[in-house]
Amino acid sequence: MELAHIWGILFISLHAMVPITLAAIGETIEESAGLFNIGLEGILLLGALAGAIGAEASGSATMGLMAGIATGGLIGLLFGVLSTTLRGSQLITGVGINMFALGFVALMLTLLGAPGFHSVPRAVQVPLIPLGIGNLSPMVLVTVFLAVVVWWVLRRTQLGLWIRAVGENPAAADVAGLRVNTLRLGTAIAAGMLAGLAGAYLSVDWFGAVTKEITAGRGFIALATVVFSGLNPLLALLGGFIFGLFEGLATWISTYPAIKKIIPWQFVAMAPYIITLLVVAGAIGRVRFPKGLGVPYLRE
Amino acid sequence: MTDQMGISPPPTARSEILLEARGISKGFPGVWEHLILEHIDFDVRAGEVHTLLGENGAGKTVIANILSGYYGKTDGEILVKGQPVTLESPRDGLAHGIAMVHQELMLVPAFTVAENVMVGLNAPGLSFRKQAVEQQLDDLVAHYGLQVDPRVRVEDLSAGEQQRVEILKVLFHQPEVLLLDEPTSLLTPQEADQLFKVLRAMTDEGKGIVFISHKMHEVFAVSDRVTVLKLGKARGTMPISQTNEDDLTRKTFGETVPDYMERPAVEFTENAIEVDRLIPKGLEKKAPASGLSFALHKGEILGLAGVAGNGQSELIASITGLSGVSSGTVTILGEEMTNRTPRAFIEKGVAHIPERRREMGIIEQMFVAENVALKDYRKTPFSRHTILNREEITRHAEEIVSRFNALVPDLWETECRILSGGNIQRLILGRETWREPPVIIASHPTEGLDAKAIRHTWELFLALRAKGSAILLISEDLDEVMSLSDRIGVIFEGGIVGVVEGENANREQLGHWMAGGKISAAA
Repeated sequence: MELAHIWGILFISLHAMVPITLAAIGETIEESAGLFNIGLEGILLLGALAGAIGAEASGSATMGLMAGIATGGLIGLLFGVLSTTLRGSQLITGVGINMFALGFVALMLTLLGAPGFHSVPRAVQVPLIPLGIGNLSPMVLVTVFLAVVVWWVLRRTQLGLWIRAVGENPAAADVAGLRVNTLRLGTAIAAGMLAGLAGAYLSVDWFGAVTKEITAGRGFIALATVVFSGLNPLLALLGGFIFGLFEGLATWISTYPAIKKIIPWQFVAMAPYIITLLVVAGAIGRVRFPKGLGVPYLRE
Repeated sequence: MTDQMGISPPPTARSEILLEARGISKGFPGVWEHLILEHIDFDVRAGEVHTLLGENGAGKTVIANILSGYYGKTDGEILVKGQPVTLESPRDGLAHGIAMVHQELMLVPAFTVAENVMVGLNAPGLSFRKQAVEQQLDDLVAHYGLQVDPRVRVEDLSAGEQQRVEILKVLFHQPEVLLLDEPTSLLTPQEADQLFKVLRAMTDEGKGIVFISHKMHEVFAVSDRVTVLKLGKARGTMPISQTNEDDLTRKTFGETVPDYMERPAVEFTENAIEVDRLIPKGLEKKAPASGLSFALHKGEILGLAGVAGNGQSELIASITGLSGVSSGTVTILGEEMTNRTPRAFIEKGVAHIPERRREMGIIEQMFVAENVALKDYRKTPFSRHTILNREEITRHAEEIVSRFNALVPDLWETECRILSGGNIQRLILGRETWREPPVIIASHPTEGLDAKAIRHTWELFLALRAKGSAILLISEDLDEVMSLSDRIGVIFEGGIVGVVEGENANREQLGHWMAGGKISAAA
């Protein structure tokens, strides 16, 4: 293997890490507060669509990413209201978000022209940073930065303590004078914004297009990464990178004729998912989650 | 002006009223058929400990929860230093300087002591004052003599230490009024004495303390004034110096001698339940080493009185198969059943009327008819070859509903969760007793029922007794225990502290035993 190949795999890995990590650290925030949103996949998909439309309409990649953030935040708000003040089932709300996104994105793509596919003009994609050995998206740096920030907020600030208290024992937090539902709602919005950004990154940056399968289960991989990380955003960054690495390897192998003949590419493409499954299976039981996770808080 | 009696009023009478409740009432619509608090007046002054005394279910905790903002009230007014206030959450209460130590621990086990204190800190979101808080806690620990290391995780502490963390938490935030709901339930006697010293130190600093208890000696150890509550009503407030233990016991546990349900005399020969040196799971630390032993005969009603949390739940769980036995044996109708499954107990003929009826007695999301058939659906005619016979179940449910006067809109459309507690209890009584089972374990069987239904239930129990059923009656309602029981035992901290004949039972003596009193003192 030549050095260029290694750089190639590394860059694919870093780019593949971004959406999973962003969605995972968002989910980490809300799971710390006791909310469990299984609708990440749907938010990613809607974020990708909103990003593409936003970027084209405004002519700016940044605005595209903002559109993704806003869309994600809105879905997060909806999820948050349903699962706090309205005390709905978080599982069903999350599944609902996924189902809605599947249908809505497919419909919108058809309305935009070609069913199932819509490309984003090069001019409104996020410009890459040329490094000589390859081109790097600035979103990789943003992701690393956000992971560190979220880790710091959750583990080393008063706000993080409040968020975790609300997730661990909402009654204790309530008695201590915290607004349980307001805090939870805030984390749901933040989580939605991060997942929306992850989605917009797919269309406006990494792939430069929206397809109705663009997320390819990355939302679920992000959920798995949260389990693997045990609600530690820095481990979520590592988990995202590991998944990205396998995706990078799979991409590289599938374009390498000698290997392609021996192993069908479909099997190679499966590898990242199987590895994720194994990693998560290993993590389950070891990792401790908040006691109040998934349960609406009711005072009387 | 001279004091004609020559007695100066107690110092507290002159100090400022910090917190006052005027005519507060509370009802839980649908769940309870009556108000659980009726027009309560209550106040606490600077520098005093004002105790709320009453049996379980009297409404002590509800008052404290309302005063701290945790519960809403149905009616009435709350005043802080004479000003009316609205308390919609504990946050509002804390803003007015009112803090509460709840009976259940309100701690995050995964956090350290200091972090638990910091949850209530009113600090900027991006600040982190952990080290400062730890140092302040060190000072507080030294000042009040409450030994706890602020840097240790709460889950690694003993129950008593966790209780101390709760106290430290409120001390840290310096409330003016402190409400303590049975704070000694997890403490050893020595730890409780230490707590009382801390409370004294706090009142010396001018704070007002509301202390909730049902233990008589604690009330006398710590109170300046005491208010007795019974069934949601205040039965008078008095300075502790103007009362005594006998007087308070009578006021707390009732004043009239209850009816005794007349019954034919029966020769008790065969044992239905034999419990020998039993220590149920979860009671290993609390129970005496000799465990708990008793025998219940066929055709006998054995009342088990006691304050909640003294091992009743664990005893019931181990004689119905709901949880395991740590040591000792359980024998039902001559067969050893220790550690058998709930199904084995049901099939042996042990009926169970559970204490938490909504959680354990029914499945709230299922329909009335389904709940009525919950223990019989496997048997013909209710099912055949695993297929349910809906007509038979309907017919049976109709019979139970009408025989027990349950108010049920529809057998197959009404989910049990919307029924009131009393109606749920009627369905459970019907389901558990219609087969005339040989053994009945009944926990608070008439709680939430009106007088007529209580009478019917008592008559039903006596009829079952006449047919040979053995009934273990666990209740905090002494009236009920005394009216129904052939014998009465008192359970305290996992052991039976005394047994008397039902007909000769003496309320004060039972109350004394229930509060952990020595047997000799009542003799």
